[in-house]
Amino acid sequence: MDKIHELFLSPFPSEEMMHYAYYPGCSLKGSAKKLDRDLRRVFEILGIKLTEIENWKCCGAFEYGSLKQIREMSKVNLKKAERISFQLIAACPLCCKNLKEANEDKKYSIYHPLEILNVDVLFAKAKRELRGLPFTPYYGCLLLRPKETAIKDPYVMERVIDKFGGSLSGEKIRDRCCGGNRFFVDKELSLELTRTILAKSRGFLVVFCPLCHMVLRTFSERNKVIYFTELLLYLMGEREKL
Amino acid sequence: MLKTERDEIFEKTGQRREDFSVCMGCKICASVCTLNDIGKNVNPQDLLLSIFLGHIPNDHSIVTYCTSCYRCVESCPWRIKIPEIVRAIRERSKGDLFTRTFKSSIAIFGRAYEPYIFFRILPFLLKKGYLRYLPRWIRYMNFSFPPFLLRR
Repeated sequence: MDKIHELFLSPFPSEEMMHYAYYPGCSLKGSAKKLDRDLRRVFEILGIKLTEIENWKCCGAFEYGSLKQIREMSKVNLKKAERISFQLIAACPLCCKNLKEANEDKKYSIYHPLEILNVDVLFAKAKRELRGLPFTPYYGCLLLRPKETAIKDPYVMERVIDKFGGSLSGEKIRDRCCGGNRFFVDKELSLELTRTILAKSRGFLVVFCPLCHMVLRTFSERNKVIYFTELLLYLMGEREKL
Repeated sequence: MLKTERDEIFEKTGQRREDFSVCMGCKICASVCTLNDIGKNVNPQDLLLSIFLGHIPNDHSIVTYCTSCYRCVESCPWRIKIPEIVRAIRERSKGDLFTRTFKSSIAIFGRAYEPYIFFRILPFLLKKGYLRYLPRWIRYMNFSFPPFLLRR
């Protein structure tokens, strides 16, 4: 049945192909609501349709010891997404990792927003430049590691900033850990880990992970911490300042 | 065959015992570990060794501090998943207040509902001096309805 269906699919990217099921994750409904709102706006401008999965549950995060339990929690969400699309977008890096790991038989395709961002399309929609502004892209752990679930292009944020003329720094700290996972258990640990990150970064710290944003913002003294989506909206002329 | 504590830990990580016993002792995990950047003096290989010797290291410093950054997994020649063992060991103990609250939030709401978690761990936050950062957290405090109210 699926084979027949494939035959009738048009070779051009139709509306159906740009339609994704969207899994926001718990943070994006609470503390990172801004990321959620901005992300929806960015995709609206880029012409990608997102439909939130109905009644989704937590993916299990890191708080459960048994991997089997986490897999099962994520599988429930994948099952719920089926009604919308087999293509999923998960915005939180940890949710994305858990969903990708639960997708054992490769039935679904799960993407992080950074993976489906097309720099050329973005360039066509952009209205501003970043000339003269310093940026430090910071990915954190889970977007780059482990390899099986990492984003495909580990330099996507750098490419975007470079293309619009911003100056880059912080090559050494882009994949360091901020200790966000243990932030509410051991504050001192996060404080010490972020000290190096903040000392070696210059200008705006561009992050995508809600937890990294929270931890870095809590401890930063001179750097401004922004979401990557804020940067995109600034480029597209939706926001007045960074 | 009787199941030992060790087997239970390996079972929780979702992998076989052989996946861990291939460790050659190259200590590359220790050289990349995030915790060693800030002088916590840990060696993930110790953890593996003591599990294989039959002692579960509940208070090993890596169990206390590990942030699951996956650097050890990335550089390990055999891709031994240390963070997953750490989580399996942590699961054996009662766990810290945040983890327990997180789990209870999922049991009640199905999601991590942040206002609930915040007020449950408030005594801890007060005691450890987190509220010093409250001015910076204000922008994170968006009121949202608990998920089970939205469901109806």
